[in-house]
Amino acid sequence: MIGATLSRWTMSFFSVALVALIVALVLMAAGTGYPSEGIADAGSLIVVHVTAIGWLSLLMCGALLQFLPVLVAHTLYSDALAWPALLALVVGLVALVLAFLQFGGILQTQVPYFAAAAVLLIAGFGLILWNLGATLLAAEDVPLPVWFVIAGLVAAVFTVGLGAVFATALGGGQAAWLVTLTAAGIPLHAIAGLGGWLTFTAMGVSYRLLAMFMLSPELKRQSTRIALVLGAAALAVAVVGGIVVVLANGNLMLALTAALVLAVGALVPYGMDVVFLYRKRRRPVIELNSRMAGVALANLAALAVLVVVLAVFGQLGNQAGAVVFFAAFGWLTGLGLSQLFKIVAFMTWLETYGPVMGRMPTPRVQDLVVEKRALKWFWTYHAGTWAATLALLFGLAIPFRICVVVMLAGTLGLVAQFLRTRRLLDIDAAKRLPEGTRQPQLFVSNAAKPA
Amino acid sequence: MFIETQATSDPATLKFLPGRQVLASGSFDASTREAAAQSPLAHRLFGVEGVTRVVLGSDWIGVTQTRGDWAHLKPAVLGAIMEHYLTGAGALEAPGDAETPKDRFSAVGDPNESATMTQVREAIRQVIDPELGFNILDLGLIYDVSFDGEGGAKVLMTTTTPGCPATNYLMSGAREAALSADGIETAEVELTHDPRWGPEMMTSIAKAHFGIPEGEGW
Repeated sequence: MIGATLSRWTMSFFSVALVALIVALVLMAAGTGYPSEGIADAGSLIVVHVTAIGWLSLLMCGALLQFLPVLVAHTLYSDALAWPALLALVVGLVALVLAFLQFGGILQTQVPYFAAAAVLLIAGFGLILWNLGATLLAAEDVPLPVWFVIAGLVAAVFTVGLGAVFATALGGGQAAWLVTLTAAGIPLHAIAGLGGWLTFTAMGVSYRLLAMFMLSPELKRQSTRIALVLGAAALAVAVVGGIVVVLANGNLMLALTAALVLAVGALVPYGMDVVFLYRKRRRPVIELNSRMAGVALANLAALAVLVVVLAVFGQLGNQAGAVVFFAAFGWLTGLGLSQLFKIVAFMTWLETYGPVMGRMPTPRVQDLVVEKRALKWFWTYHAGTWAATLALLFGLAIPFRICVVVMLAGTLGLVAQFLRTRRLLDIDAAKRLPEGTRQPQLFVSNAAKPA
Repeated sequence: MFIETQATSDPATLKFLPGRQVLASGSFDASTREAAAQSPLAHRLFGVEGVTRVVLGSDWIGVTQTRGDWAHLKPAVLGAIMEHYLTGAGALEAPGDAETPKDRFSAVGDPNESATMTQVREAIRQVIDPELGFNILDLGLIYDVSFDGEGGAKVLMTTTTPGCPATNYLMSGAREAALSADGIETAEVELTHDPRWGPEMMTSIAKAHFGIPEGEGW
């Protein structure tokens, strides 16, 4: 069957993810983690993992459950596998937070939280990978952007694998290779997670979502192929090469520098493709989601420049906190929030009005949102993020926390918009729920197939 | 579809080359709308205000107009030619055409179509592509509508992108629309992505809405 439908649990993934984003911002505003604490302290580790697993990974998993079927024009392998995955990931994240508290000496118990977290997170990500992998295997055609997603999923395996190694070592594992990898492998874990799983997958999905939402031609360009090959090579050199180098006591800096050169080489053709999609669009007015995605993409370009400049001046190690922060919040969160603005409206529309199409006039997806109101919250969020990144670069802990409060205000404003969309509050009451339609539930989609 | 234009010695006349055969043999010349009745293409061109003569050749269409300025008229003529070819009809009605012309589907409508076809078409116009916020008829997502003469309707349609999450709802909407017409008891909807949809398949109405110049696709 060609027609994909609604993924039942995507909205649940999004809801939990947004809660995690708010928690992460509240923690940072309250002074938990870097720069108020050391970058490897328990507080920093908690903030990083609530952001990376709770917010960004759950967002990406939810989005892939809905959009991988669109990318490969094949239905999702299993809707039912999604909720146990969500449960395992959430409980696994809670266990990981408890493990970090134990590691920091704040929680005094003998419960093996690290082991529990490793098992649960492997189970959660494993279920997601199984579901997406089976969907991919059943597809007749795997278009170029999907190869970015496949490379991203492979990077996710490495991220979770390295995380499990660290958890085993921190939980008391004594084997020499475990200790060696844990001592030197944290940059590899971060690169595999933020650069591979989250960034590379987002790049693949962005090709299709931007084309779909702006009515741009599908790319069949050499530049896309170059971006894929160089990007995958960068990840292979950094992560696989990095692991080998660490275990062989080699020069990790050399491998990471080579990977950085390859990564910049991949981002240039990707940037050209993105500019092409914006310029060749057939919708003259760019909707807010695509405009704000443009801001996030500009942040990605700025991030690449920042990394190169810091590397040239030998400051990359010292400024890792600022780099990771800007990658997570300027680029990935910026893109995530921009796309949520559209996807929540799109899914809510399908669920509510899809079943009555052809029987009566229906509102448009655009009628479920008020762009003008959301715009100010997007800018609030971005202004806060830019200022917070500068504060980190200059080591200003208190101004950083104030900037995070601004980011939190922007985020809460946007979450309020998503809730309004889900409740159809921006549609005239008289037209909101015509006969035969029903109010969607907040956190789950009714995936019933049309008659 | 790309339509080339060529100037002629008469500034009031332009030649349009649609890049495909127009007439298999001979030529066709009409100076009034009535005289153009034999040719659905010429008939449609006379629908453009200002057109006074249409000549069809082997691979070209000559259009003469009296308004003087081609700048405003050319897009409309290009749009009419494009719309004609989208209907799949020939430039001339073949004598003794087995198909009943009045039930031939056209997104922009045909003055001679049956009441049922009009009803189905207008009902489909109620179905919107949720993402583009425009009806699927003018977007060019409906490739064909046909009737079996026994209360059965068949709709051949596509989506802007394969795997579109709205596919099932759009198909169901088209089916409901067909069933809403008088005398239609069963409706079947078939999905195809051959040919793949492109903006050139939009009607002039949709193109104007999205600001896409006539004659342009991707």
